[in-house]
Amino acid sequence: MASTVIGAGITIEGELTTDDDLVVAGTVRGKLHSKDSVTIESGGVVEADITGGPVSVAGNVVGNINSSDRVELQNGARVVGNVKATRITIADGAQFKGNVDMDV
Amino acid sequence: MADATVIGSQTFVKGRIEGSGDLEIAGRVEGEVSVSGEITVEKSGLVSANLTAERLVIHGAVKGDLSASDSIVLEAGARVVGDVKAARVSIAPGALVRGYVETSASGGARVSSKKAVSAKHEAPKASAPAKVVAAPVKAPAKSAPKAAPVAAKAIAKKPPQPVVAALKKGAKAVHKKRA
Repeated sequence: MASTVIGAGITIEGELTTDDDLVVAGTVRGKLHSKDSVTIESGGVVEADITGGPVSVAGNVVGNINSSDRVELQNGARVVGNVKATRITIADGAQFKGNVDMDV
Repeated sequence: MADATVIGSQTFVKGRIEGSGDLEIAGRVEGEVSVSGEITVEKSGLVSANLTAERLVIHGAVKGDLSASDSIVLEAGARVVGDVKAARVSIAPGALVRGYVETSASGGARVSSKKAVSAKHEAPKASAPAKVVAAPVKAPAKSAPKAAPVAAKAIAKKPPQPVVAALKKGAKAVHKKRA
């Protein structure tokens, strides 16, 4: 159960900072900081740099993803930007353009 | 599940929130919020923004103007600093409002409850300036009898004894020195 949800019809322009789980089904432009997990659902659009815990993407992301945990690009995801994380999975059907940096 | 938007209690949004659907704010929001559905500001919600929606329900703190096409409900514990404008406005006992409140002519029966509370809210305001008036007037009371009735009125409502006593002492001391 996510404590912060950006619904499908909602657009946030600016900075979003949270210690909660975050689910984005709408649109976020600007910056996105989370201490916990970030989930971008199918239909969700993020035009922002993302820093957070585990990041799961099924929607559209334009921006760099910086995770202290793992990043999952699921089927249907479209990501343009650099990804930095300890673990990365890219599912079959995910579109991705950018650098990958895994802290080993 | 993700249809409704929730800004969790540990979340801080700085910027614009807009779009369609309902919005629940339990965290902090700074900037501007404009949605087509209902905005609920929870008890833990801290909003420094103008809120525009069809319906507004406030349990928490808002600094900014509220405007709704349908109704605004300020529940007990709500703290609002800013103008409130909607077709129907209801302010529950225990809600705090500082600002201009406007309902359209088609305002329903809820308006009566609003008046009752706003009158209640003004009561402390009346007593607060009374002290202020009493303080400067009391010191030169002997030389300025014109101001005396005003001071008397204010004191009649609620005598601020410790303040007056202190001032009397001070006034005497000043007079003695001058004499």
